[in-house]
Amino acid sequence: MHVTIDSVSDEVLARRIAGGPAGSTDAEESELYRRFAPRVRLYGRRHLRSDAGADDLAQEVLLLTIERLRAGEVQKLDQIGSFILGTSRMMCHSERRVARRREALAARFADTSDAIAPPSLSALDAPRVAACLRALAERERLVVLLTYYADREAPRIAEELNLSPGAVRVIRHRAIARLRDCVMGGRS
Amino acid sequence: MTAPGCDRIALADLTDYAAGELSATEAAAIEEHLFSCSQCASRAAEFDALVRAIPPAVRTTEVGGFVTDDVLNRMAREGVHVRQFVLSPGAVVPCAVWEDDEVMALRLRANFGGAGEVTMSQRVAGNEVLRSTGHVNASSPGEMIYTLSAAWVRQLPVVNVEVVLTAREDGEDRTLGSYTLVHEGSLQR
Repeated sequence: MHVTIDSVSDEVLARRIAGGPAGSTDAEESELYRRFAPRVRLYGRRHLRSDAGADDLAQEVLLLTIERLRAGEVQKLDQIGSFILGTSRMMCHSERRVARRREALAARFADTSDAIAPPSLSALDAPRVAACLRALAERERLVVLLTYYADREAPRIAEELNLSPGAVRVIRHRAIARLRDCVMGGRS
Repeated sequence: MTAPGCDRIALADLTDYAAGELSATEAAAIEEHLFSCSQCASRAAEFDALVRAIPPAVRTTEVGGFVTDDVLNRMAREGVHVRQFVLSPGAVVPCAVWEDDEVMALRLRANFGGAGEVTMSQRVAGNEVLRSTGHVNASSPGEMIYTLSAAWVRQLPVVNVEVVLTAREDGEDRTLGSYTLVHEGSLQR
């Protein structure tokens, strides 16, 4: 039976990258990036409070992971996810984020960065998401915009909107669920 | 570890996590699970794609609605051309929308009193074309900011656009302010 690369385990991917000569495992490296970049980006969004910072972090962490795999420096290949999380934590707190890595990664993953959205959201386009944002209730939309567009933290949003932090949280939950349903269901 | 059908991390958890609502311990627990569970990771990827799509959607300038200065400031940083009108009750002002304007921001000033919710009605040639209910913000107690797509305004004929703010009090609507934008068509530089 033919096994496609997207169906192999994380551990097998890591073993292939670790065991293959440089240049022979491009497909595995892209797949590793596709699987883990969204998680690292989410980690970066939480800790760096910046979309651009999260994007940079994902590229830097995955580049370093691949380098360490090739160098045989990852001891527990069956726990590659833990290694990537640890690397995310280390790099997120590090001030030594070298521009060279950024440039190298921009070129390295240029062909894959657009392909990491899951298939269910691959049709996400700005006009459609705009229509779904318009369809939200005013307060829901404003909480979403303040959180994910203006990058405001929860206490400030609560203060600005005269709401309790708990109320902002509930509104955000409801708004994101509705936005997702609208975008995925094509309803606006 | 990955478990088929694992739903330990729900959309609400991801929303709280990304918004910084969780304690360090709770956030760390989510991270540990996410990096080892492909089922929850795919939910995280979906959430990540959704929130990443929000800024480009706002940049289409088609979202509109009540906003705050924080949102307008981000638009300005991104180079969105925002034409602002500061309107006091009874104002009659020329509505000058230039061809390169992308968003119109109406700063509607009024004495909101104790009103929490305010309804804005827009009428063009006597017909209501938009009605929306927003909330008075603590950061700007005498003003509400409403944004419109400048492209929508540009396509209007030469006409007056009437804007009325009302608040519901004791079962009745109280008018907080009426404003008139005299639209004279799109302007070119």
